[in-house]
Amino acid sequence: MTVTPFPDLAPAPVFDIETILAGIDTMAVQKPVAAQLVSVANAEETSAKELARILASDVALAGRVMKLANSAYFGMRGRVTSLQFAVTVVGFTTVRTMATVALTELDDESRLPENFWDLTTHLALAASSLAPRFGERPQDALCLGLLAQLGAALLFHDDPEGYAAIEAAEPTFAGRRAAETRRYGINSLRLTAVALEQWGFPAPMVVPLKHVDDYRAPEGALLRSSFEIAARLTTEGYERVPIVRVSCGQLREDDVVPVLDVVRSDAAELRRAMLGD
Amino acid sequence: MTAVIASDDHVPPEIVSSVFYSASVSDSMALLVAETSGRTQRVTWANEGAVQLLGYGLADLSAMPVEQLFPTLGGGELKLMLRRERSAQRTLQVRTASGALVEVGVLTTPSPGGHRWTVLLRATANEHERALRATADAHERRFSALTERSPVPTLLSEQGMRLAHVNDAFCALVGRGAEQMLGTGWIDTIHPDDLDAVIEHVSAALEGGEVEVQARLIRNDGVVRTTIVRFAHLFTPGVGAGFVGTIEDITERLAFEAQLAHQANHDPLTGLPNRTLLARYVAERFRPGSGGLACLFLDLDNFKVVNDSLGHTSGDELLVEVADRLRATVRPADLVARFGGDEFVVVCEQVGEDDAVALAERITEALSRPLRLGGVDVRPHASVGVTVQTSEHVAPEELIRDCDIAMYQAKAGGKGRITVLDQEARAQARDKLRLVTELRDAIDNRDLELLYQPIFDTVTRTPVAVESLARWEHPQRGAISPTVFVPLAEESGLIGGLGMFVLDETCRQLAEWDRLAGSSAPPRANVNVSALQLDGNLPDRVRDALERHRLSPARISIEITESALMKDPASAQQVLHELREVGVELAIDDFGTGYSSLAYLRHLPVQCLKVDRSFVAELADGHGEIASAVIALARNLNLCTVAEGVESPEQVEELSRLGATYLQGFSLAEPMTGGHAAAWFAVHGGTAS
Repeated sequence: MTVTPFPDLAPAPVFDIETILAGIDTMAVQKPVAAQLVSVANAEETSAKELARILASDVALAGRVMKLANSAYFGMRGRVTSLQFAVTVVGFTTVRTMATVALTELDDESRLPENFWDLTTHLALAASSLAPRFGERPQDALCLGLLAQLGAALLFHDDPEGYAAIEAAEPTFAGRRAAETRRYGINSLRLTAVALEQWGFPAPMVVPLKHVDDYRAPEGALLRSSFEIAARLTTEGYERVPIVRVSCGQLREDDVVPVLDVVRSDAAELRRAMLGD
Repeated sequence: MTAVIASDDHVPPEIVSSVFYSASVSDSMALLVAETSGRTQRVTWANEGAVQLLGYGLADLSAMPVEQLFPTLGGGELKLMLRRERSAQRTLQVRTASGALVEVGVLTTPSPGGHRWTVLLRATANEHERALRATADAHERRFSALTERSPVPTLLSEQGMRLAHVNDAFCALVGRGAEQMLGTGWIDTIHPDDLDAVIEHVSAALEGGEVEVQARLIRNDGVVRTTIVRFAHLFTPGVGAGFVGTIEDITERLAFEAQLAHQANHDPLTGLPNRTLLARYVAERFRPGSGGLACLFLDLDNFKVVNDSLGHTSGDELLVEVADRLRATVRPADLVARFGGDEFVVVCEQVGEDDAVALAERITEALSRPLRLGGVDVRPHASVGVTVQTSEHVAPEELIRDCDIAMYQAKAGGKGRITVLDQEARAQARDKLRLVTELRDAIDNRDLELLYQPIFDTVTRTPVAVESLARWEHPQRGAISPTVFVPLAEESGLIGGLGMFVLDETCRQLAEWDRLAGSSAPPRANVNVSALQLDGNLPDRVRDALERHRLSPARISIEITESALMKDPASAQQVLHELREVGVELAIDDFGTGYSSLAYLRHLPVQCLKVDRSFVAELADGHGEIASAVIALARNLNLCTVAEGVESPEQVEELSRLGATYLQGFSLAEPMTGGHAAAWFAVHGGTAS
């Protein structure tokens, strides 16, 4: 591995990506309910009743699912009063996504890169809003957005100072990913893909993560466009990339305006539901 | 199986070699073994399946670095595939000998020690998944193509209230683009008052139900459409529940139904509520024992005159104008209904008698403004009856009935008046209703009695006929005068029955007298006929009665008042001619009190004039002019005369002198029962012969 160190960066630690994934296994032991949800939710024979039964034993996680089901995003206006119905409303993949968040401790903001959830909620909502234009299920896109930065969080867990330095040095996502590859041998999105694939998340949630940096690849267009929108909304002084370019010609700037409004208005509530505060 | 796993470490060598052999020659699965050699992992073994899948020869594969097989793996990622402690699986692109990249599922399993891995490539399984996904995508495309073209507005939910798909028909219905409505955007099209119901029904559908709800949708241009939304449950395995919603726009249908309902309850001419709606309206607001409701009953005065003289079109115009004025005069919450013909009812809530009367005054004032109809200025006037609800009203229809009574009282007191139905008037009205019922029973049961008053020949002073007079002896009230019960019978539709009773009973009595007294029986009986009986049926009824009792027509004389003849002179003349053809005599009763023209009189086939008792009475005061004139007139027209109400010998003398043909009065003979009359005639009739 050839690493070109940044001039002001300390030498890279001896970095073993496998220990990161092994760490997740340890977490799974500590959070058996979340781990069980992650493993069962995608099975075809799974029922809302079964998921609700498992979910009921993790009060904090169950509370978040209830909160999300009643959020403006699902439009149910507080009508969701049972856990089983909440599972039905948010969908199995979302329950699984929330379990993954709990499992990987993405709900502990003290151990996350700066503005992690701010960016994540904007990214998820942008992906969900844009999904129909790319022929994708909005729900899968929302979950993809929510988990896309899992890799970044894992890298940060393991190497807080090094990762913070990369963040400080690289204002753009693409630049940051290149720096990640240089430092860790893998970028954060690909790491996310590895983890999600390992847990059996469906292909539509994994494939885009691998194609984000290839501007010619339509598979990565939705996630790339979502990152662009999230960046415009969350990064001060952000230099825009033309949306037509990142979207493989699927979007024009006019299309972006209503999406910006929706994302802006729902982000805070989604964040509350995901973090349970 | 369990036994083999349990004794994993002790699998007999022959089994190991057997399994290894099947694996090495299998072409349905591709197996590689990789080992760490220095800093690189290289392929050290491949089976037949791997050779076929990858296209390399065994020699080329041996010692090939693993990362060369998986070119899409970044620098650090190979480590994640070949993990020391656990197996790993990913979908990766593998480079074949031809240089092509083929997507395969890769499962790696480390051997103890962490330096050797078994790598399983599952191209076929991946193909299978792809095929499944392709089938699912094709299903989805077919489904969306179907709904896209469907004229039925259709929604497809992905999760909760969030829509994944709306079709063109729905976009057209609400006038918005699909983009605006996907996700939760469509919620904005639901009328805020209906949103809760919609969410409730969506909840039911998500939980497996099939439900429908009526909801208003707001178009982009603000127009509200009323729809029925039908929701059906939609379950996607592994994903969760959604719904399919189809929408039926029922705005036009509801409008049409409302129009039909309106037509059923409203008068087409004036657009006012009709009698049906009035009854329902009052019934809905009526609380027995409480007050607060007031009803005004209006009847236009002289409406018939307008209709007859200016035509029905003008009559209709007048009714429309009256309706407009009424609507403009009452308070917004009051109801104005057309009761029928030229009758209107106004219903007010929370008003006392003073307020109701004040409203009635405002109405009569508003109505009396002149109006030009067919070139003529008309001032509509109305008689108004007012009733305010009291504790005595026990049913809603009593309110309407009472104000109707009050209106009749207003009309009876002279036109253009307002009358409030007070306690006494209500009691009187109820009393009258009771009396009508009793009169009906009396007629049906033949409880009325006929008395017969003899009529004398002036010259011979002998009785030549009787006049039948009906008497009603009420079991509680005693004798009730004909001046009370005859008008009552006329008002309440009983006059036909009463008249037939008198005619039939008189004929029966004549026949009985014939049987008992023979030649001394009264030769003729005069029977009175009301104006209301004077129609085309009368001659047949008279003929029937005569035949029933086998009497000669000459035995009966029909007396008709002058005023009855004048109500519809042409028709009356026709009926009189027909009666003459039957053979009965005809007399004009109360002659001189009406206003018949002499020319008209000449054309009537009558034989006799009855001089009204008021003119006979004047004789006593020395004023015999009218009686004298009537008798002279009759003589000149070759008619005979009967002087009624003869009270004294002086009057008898004077009437004889004037030439009256017959005399009738208390001083000569009082009315008597049938039985009494037979005896009386046996005694007095004899002197005549």
